[in-house]
Amino acid sequence: MEVFIAQVINGISLGSIYVLLVTGFNLLLLVAMIIHFAYPQVVVFSMYIIWLVLEVTGNNLILGALAGVTSSILLNLISAPLFQKVMEKRGEVDINSTMVMSMGIGMIITDVLSHGFNKGHPIAFPDTLAGGEAILRVGLISILPGQVSAFVVGVIAVSGFFLLLYKTRPGRAFRAIAEDPNGARLVGIPLLKTGLQSYALSGLLGGLIALLLAALIGSASSGLGEQVALKVIAVSIIAGLGNLVGGLVVGLSLGILEAIVQGYISGTWSNAIAFVIMLLVILAKPTGLFGLKL
Amino acid sequence: MASNDQTRAHADSQQALLTIENLSVSYGHVNALKHANLQVFKGEIVVLIGANGAGKTTLLETALGINTPLSGAIRFKGKPIGGAAVDRNVRAGICLVPEGRGVFASMSVLDNLLLGAHNNMKNVGKHLQRVYEWFPILEKRQDQIARTLSGGERQMLAIGRALMSSPELIMVDEPSIGLAPIVVNDIFNILRMLNQEGYTILLSEQNANKALKCAHRGYVLETGTVTLSGTAAQLLDDPGVREAYLGA
Ligand SMILES: Nc1ncnc2c1ncn2[C@@H]1O[C@H](COP(=O)(O)OP(=O)(O)O)[C@@H](O)[C@H]1O
Ligand SMILES: [Mg+2]
Repeated sequence: MEVFIAQVINGISLGSIYVLLVTGFNLLLLVAMIIHFAYPQVVVFSMYIIWLVLEVTGNNLILGALAGVTSSILLNLISAPLFQKVMEKRGEVDINSTMVMSMGIGMIITDVLSHGFNKGHPIAFPDTLAGGEAILRVGLISILPGQVSAFVVGVIAVSGFFLLLYKTRPGRAFRAIAEDPNGARLVGIPLLKTGLQSYALSGLLGGLIALLLAALIGSASSGLGEQVALKVIAVSIIAGLGNLVGGLVVGLSLGILEAIVQGYISGTWSNAIAFVIMLLVILAKPTGLFGLKL
Repeated sequence: MASNDQTRAHADSQQALLTIENLSVSYGHVNALKHANLQVFKGEIVVLIGANGAGKTTLLETALGINTPLSGAIRFKGKPIGGAAVDRNVRAGICLVPEGRGVFASMSVLDNLLLGAHNNMKNVGKHLQRVYEWFPILEKRQDQIARTLSGGERQMLAIGRALMSSPELIMVDEPSIGLAPIVVNDIFNILRMLNQEGYTILLSEQNANKALKCAHRGYVLETGTVTLSGTAAQLLDDPGVREAYLGA
């Protein structure tokens, strides 16, 4: 029973990371109307920035966190003008051009990380962020402080985002544009400005994800972004592209599923099992479990 | 309409609320408006009559700031607004109830109303209260998803949403489209009531009978050009109008 509880907690931490990733991705898809495949690379870039700032400041967590969030927001805002041409045409998502643009951005980030940081070696986060002494230990399973903080921050970030989306003025504008960009224009919602807000918000989410990933897995490599990107695309499609509530349910479920597989079967098989299940789902429901929202 | 002549006389003596002068708009090679002229005075209901494709939506949307004019001028309260951004025009007091209502079907009635106040969140509670007084049905349904509303209720929601921006000029694009005749009467009664409350209204219609009966003046738009204008009574009597737009 303890193993189960420990793995559910782990699973929710991991799941909230998936939820935030899918949410940031979907937000850009729905509001800025771009397919940002390389969003996870932006997140991993911020992990590297956090690591760098921690190294330089002697593990000042607050500065590290600030730098992570700032870098992710900035990177998103800097890439916005690159997507601008597409943003101005509006009306529908121009999949081809945004996809190519995004993959380019992703490749540049991956290259910068593998050449510019830590001589290309993977980075490891200090115990202040990731670990320290286990809080709870059951057999082979142990719960580290990083896992607990990932759980707490993840749950707060996910609830905060959904509150913003459903209870605030910008959130309302996001949902209106997501449902009908032209209709939103007709009621006077500025598409470009609201689009930029969505870049900033998905950047903020990206920074939080970077912190959570650092705390939960404790290390990163330049290739991590691509690995994560595959899973984010998979979860988004399984949930139904652009479906935020679907992303919430599927992201959490996948996190818990993977943690349970790791706890009871094998850590090395969790990815394969996750993808097999997702494959079966997509065969049964090609538009995703919760339906396309585009 | 006993008050028509009075309103008109009053209107003549003051500056127009909305002036459209020699306005031309094109979509690529399609010239949707060609040197169109139109004026709306404070306190009026003006109807824009035209067949499908005549350019009614283009004219209203251009006044709102959606399209950039090819040439010509648009003035609101004397100030040029041609090419200004929609959110600026909404803040200045213009709004549009779109053709087909443009209600956000997946969002709640309350959220739809609040979207109308997006550019004017001051006194939002007061505006909401007034909209609910005029449309009690919207208050009863405020947490319902707009998809569940009937056509007439959606039209009320779209009008209520427009009111949330605290406008002076409400443009209504073909409000009767797709509604049962009885509901159309309700909608025109609402527009008349809002006019009496002080709102100026510019509406477009294909079927002009009911619209002309509730309007003070009208313009006839044919393939992007205004071909006729006059008081509602004059247009109702015009043989050409009767044949083309009144089914007589
Ligand atoms: N987005 C558009 N792209 C190209 N042509 C358009 C567009 N919108 C309208 N048109 C054309 O402009 C003309 C006027 O259309 P519109 O203003 O919608 O007329 P109405 O509202 O009176 O039916 C029509 O010939 C229509 O086909
Ligand atoms: Mg039209």
